Amino acid sequence: MSIPLHIRINENSYNLQVEEDETLISLLRDRLHLTGVKEGCGNGECGACAVIADGQPVRSCIILAAEMEGKSITTIEGLTETDENGNVSLSPIQKSFIEEGAVQCGFCTPGFIIAAEALFMRNSDPGDEAVKEALSGHLCRCTGYKSIFKAIDKTVKNRYKT
Amino acid sequence: MELKTVGKSITKFDAFEKVTGEAVYIADVEFPNVLHIKVVRSSVAHGRIKTVFTEDAYKTEGVRGIITGEKIDFLAGICIYDQPPLAKDRVRYIGEPVAAVVADTIAAAEKAARLVRVDYEELPHVEDPVDAAGEKAPLIHEELGSYFHLPGFNPEPGTNIFHHYHLEKGDTEKGFKNSDVIIERTYTFPHIAHAQIEPHGAIAKWSKGKELHIYSSTQGPFIVRGALSRMFNIPNNLVRVTVPYLGGGFGGKSDLTIEPLTAYAAKFFPGRWLRLILTREEMFFGSLIGRGTHSHIKMGFTRNGKLVAADVKVHLAGGAYGDYSINIVTGTGHNATGPYEIENVNIDSFGVYTNTPLVGACRGYGHPEAHWMTERTMDIAARELKTDPVKLRLKNILKPGSENNLGQIIRKSNGDLEGAIRRAVKEIQLDKREEPDNPRFAAGKSIAALMKSPVMSTNAGSSVIIRANRDGTFHLLASHVDMGQGSVTALSQIAAETLGVPVEKIHHNRGVDTEFTPYEWQTVASSTTWKAGSAVKKAAISVLERFKAIASEVFKTTPDKLTASNERIWYGRNSISFADLAEGYVFPDGHAIAGPVIGTGSIVPQGLTYPDRKTGRGELAAEWTFGCQAAEIELDKKTGRIRVKKFVTVLDAGKIINPVMARGQVEGAVVQGIGAALNETLIYSDKGRVRNSNLTDYKIPTPEDTPDEIVTVFLETPQPGGPFGARPLAEHGIVSVAPAIANALRDATGMDFYDLPLNQDRILKALYGKGEEK
Repeated sequence: MSIPLHIRINENSYNLQVEEDETLISLLRDRLHLTGVKEGCGNGECGACAVIADGQPVRSCIILAAEMEGKSITTIEGLTETDENGNVSLSPIQKSFIEEGAVQCGFCTPGFIIAAEALFMRNSDPGDEAVKEALSGHLCRCTGYKSIFKAIDKTVKNRYKT
Repeated sequence: MELKTVGKSITKFDAFEKVTGEAVYIADVEFPNVLHIKVVRSSVAHGRIKTVFTEDAYKTEGVRGIITGEKIDFLAGICIYDQPPLAKDRVRYIGEPVAAVVADTIAAAEKAARLVRVDYEELPHVEDPVDAAGEKAPLIHEELGSYFHLPGFNPEPGTNIFHHYHLEKGDTEKGFKNSDVIIERTYTFPHIAHAQIEPHGAIAKWSKGKELHIYSSTQGPFIVRGALSRMFNIPNNLVRVTVPYLGGGFGGKSDLTIEPLTAYAAKFFPGRWLRLILTREEMFFGSLIGRGTHSHIKMGFTRNGKLVAADVKVHLAGGAYGDYSINIVTGTGHNATGPYEIENVNIDSFGVYTNTPLVGACRGYGHPEAHWMTERTMDIAARELKTDPVKLRLKNILKPGSENNLGQIIRKSNGDLEGAIRRAVKEIQLDKREEPDNPRFAAGKSIAALMKSPVMSTNAGSSVIIRANRDGTFHLLASHVDMGQGSVTALSQIAAETLGVPVEKIHHNRGVDTEFTPYEWQTVASSTTWKAGSAVKKAAISVLERFKAIASEVFKTTPDKLTASNERIWYGRNSISFADLAEGYVFPDGHAIAGPVIGTGSIVPQGLTYPDRKTGRGELAAEWTFGCQAAEIELDKKTGRIRVKKFVTVLDAGKIINPVMARGQVEGAVVQGIGAALNETLIYSDKGRVRNSNLTDYKIPTPEDTPDEIVTVFLETPQPGGPFGARPLAEHGIVSVAPAIANALRDATGMDFYDLPLNQDRILKALYGKGEEK
């Protein structure tokens, strides 16, 4: 049975019909082709599929699309800004990930960046414990995490400088 | 000469597309007219296939075909051809592909796959490699004697031993007779999972019945091309392998994995793309796994601490097919005694078929298995000899002039192992003791030295192409797979430095396509910067030579009178820009000469040979990297949990091309090594089924598990043969993590551990139950 769904994704409004067992990741990746949302486990264990729903980080692989009625979703594709000339500017956290070498294979990267961004929405000056808490359940097999912590730390510090 | 680009932490070329979600990985590639594959896998560890019932599955809406192995008349492989792409008559592990269900949607394929019923006649199965090598073990491959294998491998038909590597040096009998202290121990390293965050995938299509195009998340596109070409008896140039962005490899995506199966199934649906993306669960048994050694070591020392004899037996549980672990057998063998000079050595390393998933390359393979026993044993020996473990190591290490097990003479340019050990001791402050205030905790510190060579084929070649463009920019084309290690950036730095242009002027291909990018053996063994980097340097030099040849016609002189600098070719005070030479030179009257400039560079590791059949010695290692690691840990005696407070790695990797990326490689390897040391192990049921095939039950390190402090130090003794003095670096950070931690645990508790992982269960049992101290 299909269900109507009104949803905003990366600032665009959609009126869709979704199946009752359709996951949010399936809607985002398979139907809307937002492939920056990564599927690493399909079971909520790795965090690669994280998106922001009304300011909260959610695992899109274990949440139904139908539950997102009326919500506003941000995926990794929604973090950059493009000006009228087509110039893309990265968000501060994206820049820090590049500068601190926090990106290796890149598969977990969208999930980590989304987790950090969602944290900043709730807490503009998170301490180490809040950062660890926000990243818990996100897995990276390449970096050993140090550079990811550095990138987040740098973003927090830069905010206070500017 | 001052370096402008090499040695600088240039930010990763492909980071932008990874932080924005633009980067396209295998599961993101979309095709028209695609069909989906779901694999039906064996539910028994060893058995004969009696019947495959597919009628019910066929009735599922959307099913287009069910492929089984009964008609397969070839075996796939690289080093030993021992595996059909789908099981034929016989299954040898739980998870082995028995049928491929092909359907319009993945949901339909999954639904139908559940309806395929397979009846088996079960046979006795064996998981332990020592048992499997014994006379009473069920024979897993009766046909072993008929399998094709490359020279340098030594199967023992009539047993489960698919490769026996034997190495001997000197006379161990005499060596042990002259020993005052002999230490003998047995160690195990369990099967572990690579747990790359990206699941493996392949998408294949046949055209005209004889052309195959396959997309795959592989580390070895040319390996895949060669194997598929042989399997299907089609020419190399009609097999095209495309690799998109790769989400982590660690060896688990090297050699062959799911490509033969995907290509075989696709053959029945010409003109259509067939897509197979493994689930997370399948990643634990449907691709490759790692390690799995049982090792026995005996080391003999004189009273004053000279290591004079070593006898080692290693059994590797290679899984149901041996092709992908066969090189690990040799690698573990010749590295078995670690970075020490020993006069008398006898080593037997056995690759053994077991009824388990297939072992393949896994970050640093051969070396962590070897150092787990050697570096533990050195600490134990120091105690028995009542000497300092650092001193004992320094007395016996390989240094310039030493002869290693293979008969190679170590040169100064191989690096400064003594310096690395001394630096690690200093960084961890080994002489400083800080006992925790709370008696619930115990603290320990220790070190473990290491060496590593790239274990590779004797003809593991690299080739690259550099194209010059009209505006003074360049294309660098190469087929190494950048799976996060940063080789696209590092090789661009080498190209820029050699050409003398800003690194921004180099564009390196992302992803690999065997149709367009030149031959590369495969991206394994920490070898790309060193090996493909040498080819890049050659290609850049050939571009400069071409520029000079053209300019010499303009200046009416000979090329040797010309120099290159500041992106121009100079003749005295006159010069022509690279840009004006890139497509050949155009004279003021319009007439042109020479045409577009392309430079190429090809290399093969120098002087590698197969091992001598009798002694196992020879040029098996093209290069060596030495180092030392050190751990500071705290044990919670109540929970049995180890916290790694500080972890130090000192490596002499020659010239570091990109410090931030080099550190990233080491830090990642260290934390992966900590996972294997403390937690990771595949758990088998009595029936031989992997019981923890998910990321909740197979715990890899999380952000909270990273040490408080990771220290990485590079010594930079230049390697004359490497590009700008670089030698192999990447996996080295994983090699001695487990022994460094276990040695520190001994320091903290007075207890010796010989089996991994050092998880809470094992430690609590040792502390409060039956002790493990031997």
